[in-house]
Amino acid sequence: MRDNRDDEDSFAALRDDDKLLAALGEALSAREAVPSWFVETGKNSYAWHNVDAELAQLTYDSYSDQRMAAATRSETADIRALTFTSAHMSIELEVTEGSLLGQIIPPRTGTLEVLTAAGTIMTTTVDEIGCFAVDPKPDNSFRLRCRTPDGTDVLTGWITL
Amino acid sequence: MRDDPSVVALVIRATAGDQVAWDEIVERYAPLVYGICTRYRLSRHDIEDVGQTVWLLLVEHLDKLREPAALPGWLATTTARECLRVVAAANKTELRRNERDESTWFVDDKAIDEEILMAERNAGLRAGFAELPARCQQLLSMLISDPPSSYASIHDALGIPVGSIGPQRARCLDRLRRSNAFLALGENETAGKVLGR
Repeated sequence: MRDNRDDEDSFAALRDDDKLLAALGEALSAREAVPSWFVETGKNSYAWHNVDAELAQLTYDSYSDQRMAAATRSETADIRALTFTSAHMSIELEVTEGSLLGQIIPPRTGTLEVLTAAGTIMTTTVDEIGCFAVDPKPDNSFRLRCRTPDGTDVLTGWITL
Repeated sequence: MRDDPSVVALVIRATAGDQVAWDEIVERYAPLVYGICTRYRLSRHDIEDVGQTVWLLLVEHLDKLREPAALPGWLATTTARECLRVVAAANKTELRRNERDESTWFVDDKAIDEEILMAERNAGLRAGFAELPARCQQLLSMLISDPPSSYASIHDALGIPVGSIGPQRARCLDRLRRSNAFLALGENETAGKVLGR
């Protein structure tokens, strides 16, 4: 299909010097509008390229609920609940002042690793009802990787407590 | 961009473990991903969340992209889906209390297609610009600055006689049209191949 339109948006319109210059201006400013931290995050993600695990995405975070509900339900404000979900496993986390507890769904035994930008900082076991504890609570951003004997291998997105 | 050899080559190299190729993919497509996030008026925190997720999904998905040329479409739909996830989470709390945000960009295929077309055109123009000699880049940069530079200040900055600025502008734009990236862009756009459907 040839583009015979010569309206504002068509490629053919770029034969005009003024329109080409304006389009170039837009292209360069679209790149400049992107903050450098956003680009850096993208580049740094490549460190996970050879990690052969399934990504579990954040599907629930009580944190935003708490901010809104703090005035009416202040008793919930000291526990944060997070859920990460992938096709083969969910990981539910409960964060309190002093601890980070979790459970994998469906429950089964396994191993749990805590990873930071520096690599694996801790490995712990998941018991037969799927529960685990991360102690001490990580200070920096981290990801959790859970492997079970049935071959499931799941890695959460970044978590900051 | 089925016929864009540069994108296909970048994906193949990144899949094989080349960080430089991955960085180029991020540089090329960060404006597409970021642009869609801003359509949804996400907070910086939410943009970070969506950005991290989209890039991690791409890292995981890279080997499975059967058609590397389908990358922009994959990125755009994945980003829109992640933005909707964040918006849906916010709807449960904040938006229910406040008036519905009229500015929220609700995704449809047409809006996504336009976003991809514009991002690909912009990426092609930036790549063509990068092929130009430094003096053309400097001149065109000054001409598109906002507010535009006067011919007198261009003369002061670049030493080009005022009477030559017009002809040099035309020559530099013509070089841009003859750049490899621009020619590839033209072939794809006029053949309707950008969306790969």
